[in-house]
This record gives sequence, C-alpha cells and structure tokens, in this order.
Amino acid sequence: MNTFTRLIGTAAVALTLGSGAAKAADLSFMSFTYAEEANKAIVQGVLDNFQKAEKLTVEPLGFAWGDMQKNIFLRARSKTLPDIAQLSERWLPTFASLDNLVDLNTVYGKDKLEAAFAPDALAMGNINGKQLALPLLSGSIGMVANKEVLAKAGINDAPKTVDDFKKALVAVRDKVPNSVPYSMATKNNGSILIDFMVWNWVHGGRIIDDAGKVVVDSQKSRDALTFMVGLMKDRLAAPEIDRPDSRRLLAQGASAFYLDAPQTRTFLRDFSGKGQAFDANVLPMPTPVLKASDKPVSVQWGHLLVQFAAGGKAKADDPADKFLTYIISDKVQTDLPLKMSALPVTKSARAAVAEDAYLKNWSAATGDARRNEVGIWSNAADLTNIIGEEVQGALLGQKSADDAIKSMQARLTTSMEKAKKSE
Amino acid sequence: MPHRRGIYLEQEIASMAVIENNTLAYPVSPHANRGGLKAGQNRIGLLLLLPAAVAFAAVILYPFLSALGLSLFEYTVEMMEPRFIGFENFVKIASDPDVWAAFWTTAIYVALTTTGTLVAGLGWALIMNQPFAGRAVLRSLSLLPWVLPSTVSAFIWGWIFNSRYGVLNAFLMELGLIDYPQAWLSTPEGAMLAVVLTKIWLSIPLFMSFFLAGLQNLDKEQIDAARVDGAGNWAVLRDHILPHLRPVLMIVVVLGVIGNLQQFDTIYALTGGGPVRATTVLSVEVYRRAFEQWDIGFASAVGVLWVAALLPPAFLYLRMLVKGN
Repeated sequence: MNTFTRLIGTAAVALTLGSGAAKAADLSFMSFTYAEEANKAIVQGVLDNFQKAEKLTVEPLGFAWGDMQKNIFLRARSKTLPDIAQLSERWLPTFASLDNLVDLNTVYGKDKLEAAFAPDALAMGNINGKQLALPLLSGSIGMVANKEVLAKAGINDAPKTVDDFKKALVAVRDKVPNSVPYSMATKNNGSILIDFMVWNWVHGGRIIDDAGKVVVDSQKSRDALTFMVGLMKDRLAAPEIDRPDSRRLLAQGASAFYLDAPQTRTFLRDFSGKGQAFDANVLPMPTPVLKASDKPVSVQWGHLLVQFAAGGKAKADDPADKFLTYIISDKVQTDLPLKMSALPVTKSARAAVAEDAYLKNWSAATGDARRNEVGIWSNAADLTNIIGEEVQGALLGQKSADDAIKSMQARLTTSMEKAKKSE
Repeated sequence: MPHRRGIYLEQEIASMAVIENNTLAYPVSPHANRGGLKAGQNRIGLLLLLPAAVAFAAVILYPFLSALGLSLFEYTVEMMEPRFIGFENFVKIASDPDVWAAFWTTAIYVALTTTGTLVAGLGWALIMNQPFAGRAVLRSLSLLPWVLPSTVSAFIWGWIFNSRYGVLNAFLMELGLIDYPQAWLSTPEGAMLAVVLTKIWLSIPLFMSFFLAGLQNLDKEQIDAARVDGAGNWAVLRDHILPHLRPVLMIVVVLGVIGNLQQFDTIYALTGGGPVRATTVLSVEVYRRAFEQWDIGFASAVGVLWVAALLPPAFLYLRMLVKGN
C-alpha cells in the first residue's frame, strides 16, 4: 500500500469517526442554566433521566446568560442552531422573526397546550398568536431582603412605603459597616433596565405604552430616576453592581435588599456557603410603594424553551419534541422548578406544589406581575442599551435626571421608528 | 600592418562566434525548463506560499471582504436576508455622535497607551541594560505580563480597581487618604486610566524587548567618552541613546499604534466600554452594534472605517520593513 492510499484510508476512517461523533447525540440543547455552577447538576439530572426514559441522548451546550443571545444570533446566521434553546422571556421577541423557529401550536395543538399550561406561563411564549416557545419556569422579579441584615440594623418589619424603605436603608448604612444597603443594579444595562422599570412603575410612570409609543418623558419617570440618583448620592446604593454582585452581597450579609426572581434562593444558598440553612434569612417582600394604598409591583419573569427546525416544521415524535414533552411532564415540573426555586408552568404541577412555603410567600409578596414593557419589542436589545446608558449616566452623575429622561425619550423614539421600518 | 589591438579584437569576436555556434549545436532535453532555473524557483516559491495564502484568504481576506460588502447592506436581527442600501450606513455614521465619540475615545486611548508604553518600556529597558545581580531573573520576570492571557490581566486590574474589594481602595484607606471606597471604574477618567494602565502593563515586555535589543548594539565606548566629557544621564540619553534607538523607536511607535487601535479584550473585560460609553473605543463600538444591537450592516460600516484608521500606520510599518529601515 503506497503512502497516498494510506492517507486516503486514514482520512476515510477519520471522517467516519467524525460523523459518528457528530451523530452521537440525538438532539442538542443550548442552555444558560446548564452554565450556572449552582444549577448545572440539576439540569444534568433531567438530561440523564430523559435519556433513560426515551433512549435518546442530548448534547448540552452551556453558555452564560449574558452570551446566550449572541450565540443564538450567530448560530442563526451560520445555520448551526441547536434543536432546543433556553431563553429568558424577554428575549423571545428579538428572535421571533427567525424562520426556523417552530410554532409549537402546529406540533402539539393549541387546545392541548392551553389545557396543560397555566395561562400566564403560556402567554410568555406567545407572539401574535404563534406559540413560539414553551415555558420552562415562571415567576416574577420582586424585592428580596436579608432578614439577618435587617435585624442587625434594628428593622423588624419589611418596609412598605418608599419613605420607610429609605429609612431602612439609612439604618443599614449606619449600623452595618461596609454594606451596600440596597444592591441596585448600576452596571449591566440588562440589569439596570429591571431596576429602573420597577421604580418607574412604583412612581406611576411608563417607558413604552402598549401601542409602542415612547412615554418615558414624564414627571413620574423623572421622579423615579431622581429617587434612584438620590440613593446613590446618600450611599444607600453603590456603583459597579450587577445582578450577580447583588446576589453575592446579600448572601454574604453585606446588603439588605435587591430585586431578583424567586430562583434567588438557590443562588443565595450557593453563594452564602450555608446551603439550605441560609433559607431562614431570605425574605421575599412586596416592592415598597409610594402610598400605603398602592398596589406593589413586580415584573413577569420566566425561562422559555424554543425549538429550531428546518423551515420551522417539526413533529411531536421528533427527538427534540419528545424532549420538550418530557421536560413539561409532571415528573420534571414538580421537581426542576422547585430545585431552582421557581414556579412550575403546568396547571397540574402548580397544583402539586401549591403548598411550597417559599413559593407561596413569593407569590403573595410580589402579587400580579406585569409584563416587561421593553422586552416585548423586537428591538428590545437596543432599547435596553439606551435605557441602561441613560440611567447609568444619571446614577453616576454624568448628567441630570432631567437630561437623561429627555435623551432617553429621543433615543427610544428613534429606535422604535427604525424597528417599525424594518418590520 | 594592421594595428595590434585590432588583431586581438578580431580574434576575440571570432572565438565568441565559435562558442555561440557550439552552444546552439548542443542537444536540449525535451524536459528542460524553458524559463530556466529562476522560473522553476519562482514556481516552488509560489507553491510554498500557497498554504499561507489559502489560510490568509479564508481567515482574513474573505471575512474582510464580507464585512466590506455587508457595510453596504441593512442587516438587523429582524431581517432574515440583508437588504442593499448603498452607502446609507456611512451616511448614518456621519450623523451619529456615538460613533464620532468612539473615534475620539480611540484617539485618546491610543495616544495615552502608546506614549505610556513607550516611556515605561524604554525606562525599564534602560534599567534592565545595567549590570546588576539578578538581572537575568528580573528580565525573565519582566515578560510575565506578556505571557499572561490578556483577559486574565484585565481581571487582575479589575480586582485592583474594584470599589468593593479592590486592593487600591484598601491601600488608600489603610493610609488614611480616603474615607470611603472609591468607585474608580465608575468615572470616565478612572475607567480610562484603568484600561490604559492595563494595556501599558501588558505591552511593556514587548517594547522593552525591542529597546533592549537596540541597546545591545550601542557603542559603550561612545557613552564612556561622553561621560568623560562631563555628560550627565539626561545628556547621554538625549544625545546618544535616543538617536541610536531612533529606528527601533519608529518601529515600536507604529506597532504600538496598530496594536492599540485593535485593542478589544482588555477593555471589554475590564469596563465593557463603560461607564456609559467612556471607554467605548472603535473595537467595542463594532462589537456593541453587532452583538448588542444586532445591526450587522452598521457594525460592518464602522468596522470598515476602523480598518481605514489602521491603514496609515500599517502602510508606514510595511514601508519601513520594505526599505529595511
């Protein structure tokens, strides 16, 4: 056998092995939860059980939450999308125009889905009548407090109004050394958006109305931003804080309050190093309101699963759809969400976990969550950057709250007009 | 009697004609290379160049041409296919204050980092050129920033400047110079200083190596003579060392400018281009437009202008190389 023949033979073997490796998994699953140290084992458990149940293998692709959108976007452009991907509920509108996104009504039937899922959860994955995603976890983003830190500051009850809240923050600042009383997000645009949106709602403002008109240039929004700037000036909040920093500060007893989803409990267990023993310190509470009679606000939150298939067409017996069916089964839904400290999404699973004390408290504290008024637009990424930059500019003293709101109005309006033109 | 010299000339011409006739009469192999030895060498040269050329075309040329093409298209996340819009992206850039601000920020960053690295690299090379015990070890240790991955360096500097647990704040508070931790990375000046210092720290080994190599050829006797004539350190540096290092200085400045114009990883890892847009240089601007605002066409257009900004120093560098300066 000459050298050339040997080379051809080696290449053929390599190709065969290579194609074998590529086909080793029956489906691929891109997930940000899988990339989180605190939750990786939980997701891996689900994948292993699915493999046992269906004799199908899953290739997990873990990417950090902050890198997920970029990865999906690039994979869409290079036609290497995974079969299933996990999304934050606010990202769905951005990807809704991808032509290989499967309308899951066509796979499972609209009636069947409506019968299985809680309406609020199912609605997160619905865009213009198409069920472009199935919910995986649900809940809301609301205020969380560290009871131990409150006790150190001499605070017995969670503050109900904004005035009480400020008094509590001052007490924490003065009595708990080196603390950040309220770990308000001041660094990452995506996180800043949530804090601004919540305080804007608390003050009665809106950013974009239901018709897509930018309405942030109002006295209420100015008041909200002025309130946030005041917290920075009084050292009740601090710069350079993103959501993961907030979680660590609260877990280490260096912060009293911050905004997060119910899954915060899982992160706090991990970051405190105390595990479930730390649960006693976690206090879900209603976001403080202007007047005691006002209704507390919270933001709708959830994780979704989307399916990508050629031409957006799939069948219920495809491996990817079997995986979706498995993951929304009672077996998984009564276990996975609880481990991740979140609400299940199916009616039956919600009934089964109705007595979970933490989730019950969370739901009672945060009340009816409102839909993210920025995340529902296809240009949400651009809107988020604009809001983040303007709010951060005001918080860091680079511009007045008034200038930031005016500039935000102008830039958001331009972005919305551009997005409408592209549609 | 014919002139003697004329006879010699006739004989010479006659012998040349014989040689020529004999040459034509030699049999030529049908496999002989018509172009001669040189053409064969050229062909082998091209063949050897081929793998590099293919790699260059696949990894650099094709993506560059794609980006060049995409700069003439509108291609946002809402669109499945790009739409040709001619030079509209460039027109938008002309009226976009954020892009101009990115150019200005880039200019500040490049000027500060290049100057800083030049001064620090030269200073360190001069120290490393002096004979002292442990010089070899210190020279080796000086290469450490170069060996470390740049993102690791960025995280180290991020830890130094961090407002909550940063070493700098701890040190200043220990000295009683500040009462509360300062958020260095949250002011435009502090953030710029941090990214500049990080890059200077990373680049010192490279610049030092260039200068140290240049200093090896410096005539020591010339320096000794200058010292005998009463020249101080500054005079020696100004009148002897710097003129000697002039070619190295030029190369280092040009390479520094090119490298700093391309810088992305340390800036993104340390500040993400913030606070707000204080450290958003062109590379970060392109990234943000492409992967945060999902506007590939516009990002490509900014990228084309970024490449245009890189061309003059690159041209200067190539010219120096070709001229052997």
